[in-house]
Amino acid sequence: MTQSLSRRDFLKLGGAAAAALAAGSFLPPRAAQAARDAGLLDANGDGYIPSMCEMCVWRCGLIAKVKDGRVVKLDGNPEHPHSKGNLCPRGQAGLMNTYDPDRVLTPLIRVGRRGEGKFRKASWEEALDLTASKMLEIKEKYGAEAMVFSTTHCLTQQQFENIMYAFGSPNYGTQRSLCFNAMITAFLLTYGIEEPARNYENVEFILMVGRNMMEAISTSETSELSHAIDRGAKLVYLDPRYTKTASKAAEWIPIRPGADSAFLLAMINVIVLNDLADCEFVKQYTVGCDGIQDAMRRYTPEWAEKITGVPADTIERIAREYAAAKHCALAHPGWRTSNFVNSFQTERAIATLNALSGNVLIEGGCLSTDVTEEGSGLAKPPQPPYPRMSALRLDGTPWKYPLVPLKLGVFQELRDAIITGEPYQAHGWFISRQNPIQALPDRNKTLEAFAKMDFVATVDIIMNDTAWYSDVVLPEASYLERYDPLLPVDGKAYIRQPVIEPQGEAKSALWIYKQLSERLGIGDYFQYTDEEDYIRQQLKPLGVSLEEVKEKGYAEMPEEEKNGEITFNTPSGKIELYSETLKNAGFSPWPTWEEPPAPAENEFYLLTGKVAQHTQFGTQNNQLLHKYSDEPRLWMNAKIAADRGLADGDWVEVTSKVGRANIRLLATEAIRSDCVYMAPGYGHLSKGLTTAFGLGASDSVLHETYTDPISGGQALSQTFVKVKKTADGPAETPKPLYLGE
Amino acid sequence: MTAHKYGFLIDASRCIDCRACLVACSAENNVSMKHTRIWIKDTGIVGEFPDLKHYTAPYHCMHCTDPACVSACTVGALQQNEDGIVTYDNDRCIGCRYCMYACPFEVPYFEWDKQFALITKCDFCISRLEEGQAEPACAATCPTDAIQFGSREEMLALARERIKNEPGRYVDHVFGEHENGGTSTFFISPVPFEQLGFPTTERTESSARFNREVTEIGTPIIASAVALGMTGIYLALKPKTGKHAAEKTEHTEEKTAQAQEE
Repeated sequence: MTQSLSRRDFLKLGGAAAAALAAGSFLPPRAAQAARDAGLLDANGDGYIPSMCEMCVWRCGLIAKVKDGRVVKLDGNPEHPHSKGNLCPRGQAGLMNTYDPDRVLTPLIRVGRRGEGKFRKASWEEALDLTASKMLEIKEKYGAEAMVFSTTHCLTQQQFENIMYAFGSPNYGTQRSLCFNAMITAFLLTYGIEEPARNYENVEFILMVGRNMMEAISTSETSELSHAIDRGAKLVYLDPRYTKTASKAAEWIPIRPGADSAFLLAMINVIVLNDLADCEFVKQYTVGCDGIQDAMRRYTPEWAEKITGVPADTIERIAREYAAAKHCALAHPGWRTSNFVNSFQTERAIATLNALSGNVLIEGGCLSTDVTEEGSGLAKPPQPPYPRMSALRLDGTPWKYPLVPLKLGVFQELRDAIITGEPYQAHGWFISRQNPIQALPDRNKTLEAFAKMDFVATVDIIMNDTAWYSDVVLPEASYLERYDPLLPVDGKAYIRQPVIEPQGEAKSALWIYKQLSERLGIGDYFQYTDEEDYIRQQLKPLGVSLEEVKEKGYAEMPEEEKNGEITFNTPSGKIELYSETLKNAGFSPWPTWEEPPAPAENEFYLLTGKVAQHTQFGTQNNQLLHKYSDEPRLWMNAKIAADRGLADGDWVEVTSKVGRANIRLLATEAIRSDCVYMAPGYGHLSKGLTTAFGLGASDSVLHETYTDPISGGQALSQTFVKVKKTADGPAETPKPLYLGE
Repeated sequence: MTAHKYGFLIDASRCIDCRACLVACSAENNVSMKHTRIWIKDTGIVGEFPDLKHYTAPYHCMHCTDPACVSACTVGALQQNEDGIVTYDNDRCIGCRYCMYACPFEVPYFEWDKQFALITKCDFCISRLEEGQAEPACAATCPTDAIQFGSREEMLALARERIKNEPGRYVDHVFGEHENGGTSTFFISPVPFEQLGFPTTERTESSARFNREVTEIGTPIIASAVALGMTGIYLALKPKTGKHAAEKTEHTEEKTAQAQEE
């Protein structure tokens, strides 16, 4: 029977699920029984269960309060290093993700046109059979590489990759090139590690380049930064926008967008030409000590002033303050560093500044490259080696982007290759807990790519925009309803465990992937009977029982042996300020200045950046977060707005080369005159999101696609827009965008 | 020897306006989506680009030492415990709204949109404390320790100590030390409290005394009758005008959404 997913239907689904749950409660439910066995719940089924948050990728430890089979409150777990007893607003609102009335609680199969929102309920059997048969059909007709796979940072990412590589496809789309490719590629090339850890214990001087720590919250690190400021550490913060982090900084530098690397190169110039670096350290542990003075000579503060708009003496003073703090100085590596085509150079300059301060290896230094590999010390189920793959990756890694690590990839290029059909045509897309329609730049292009697909299946907990445009939606259990594999952090392996029963028919990713793989004939890659068996196999080398881990929330891991020898995982074994690898690939071996494009007159840089209440595109439908969120508006400098006859609250039309959006204006002093800013994650297309639908506008509609040739990062701030008053109001009441039949 | 009294210290210099405390309060106390027991007070963006300042602080019931709301409540729905917590019993409340007018801090939050309207306000998460948890939900979750919880004396001492140690960081004023005769919630701030939008209260004596004098003249029965009558009149008039409702809604939305403007 054809069915449109109206809010009422979703509520009905929720109601049915609740009824099923009530009926089931006469028998001790599985999660409750397991929690009771671990001594976490009393005879009434009430108590506190330790688990792990999934409202962002920081993965704070949490303690869930359970009453009458419902989770009623989440608190930070004081024993977890990522929460230390605190949770951010998203973590606090986690229970509303689980109890979202818009949850998809049964498998769905599309019956209308793509984007029409017409689905029918299906059994798991039918939905999985259909998904597997479509995937095998595509493999048969076009080869395994015609199936594209995409997912985002999560604890079952490895199992997801198992399906993809065992199936035989190299085409992997992760969020990484939209986020941190520049940072990770630069630190890999310089230090041989992906992301160094920050240590705020002794920090005296912190330089943050657009790392909006007070709004893009990583709970423990936000907390550590705040405490460091309380202790008297100086924060210098570069951002074209006066964010909440800027309001806590000793100095806010509203730098011109795209000019960060000029500022940083001038800092390096001041430090190396005045012999302010930690010479001993630099000589012993780095490559490039000899040539750096010559390489940096032209990047004087006076040169940088013209590019950045920051006075030369300010740059010089900050460089000297940074150097004076020695190993108690920290140049923060940043996180989402996908801003301009030169963002890689910004990150190389940051990597260099840290090496110059000698903060890297010293006891109590602010940057640690001593990062242990995830998962070491734990076992995992056995599996055969992956089949050989010969097809080129559609995203150009590595044949077009030789320095982009395979695990990062270039997602926006993958999307473009789907549209052009070059070097070959993709036909199917399997997506898990990712939302490419919102996440990728240029939404119209992404919809065009979807239109090319013979088949799209999406695993998610709600009807996000990507699920809305899918043929099959597989409902995952929320993070409070399921197990995931254990996660090692600082010598302990932490557990995510169900604190309540999955609602409706929702299932864990571990279950969904195993079921699907068996139908795809690759069950050998999923050798576990169920989620608990998976974790028991992980725990085997530790000799700890699952019950003990469930009760404590973690298992102690044996201490890693350190061999005392200091080497870096680079070709030279040292920190490579000068990189032969970059030179061989045809790029500058030194951090260097590359002029990014700038807006024409009457255009603005379109900036993006997080708000504390939301994670990317996935939480806008959470009612508790919506309750305390600001209305998403377009920030514009108040004087510029007045000059253009625009008043605070006016509806404006924002136009880029690729799209148009209507949004209300926020006239504020808190932004440069050449920039406008939009919070990401609004303007959803899916009517299955009854709270988020109709709110704000989508910046993905406006974003143009530009790729940094070295790191593969998307340049999200390189879109320039025109803004004009409109009487239309919220014109982005999305017109139906139906794709295909 | 006086009983142990609880207290909060809220430091506007530490608040990052993340609103974890607001969400935590709603979740812990099952506050409806339309109401709140806790707001963000906000200076707005002050100054001209690029010389800007911005401060915020979470704000909730002050738990006065001599609470005006308790003295104004004719039916004993508002009570003060020995530990200083001002509690609210919605079974006793008749919806007269005297507490709203009595409170100098604009705290009791009236549920105007309900048929039989009650109030909602902070109770220090008393049920949470009774379960043996160390802190109210807002203080427990705050990632920057902008909200701290402990004994009243400790919190007051800590407030004074911080001002003394960093006179450049704070104005020399512990809000709540003397306001309305003293409260159990203390604030310290880098800017004068008027700039954060705090109510200015010059009184160092609680208005509770005045309220008591008024209520003690009449008998509680008369007071209750008057209150009921007032409520009746209000309910009769409300559908026609809706003015107060609109005002209150606007007011509260302003409270929660002030930061949004910036």
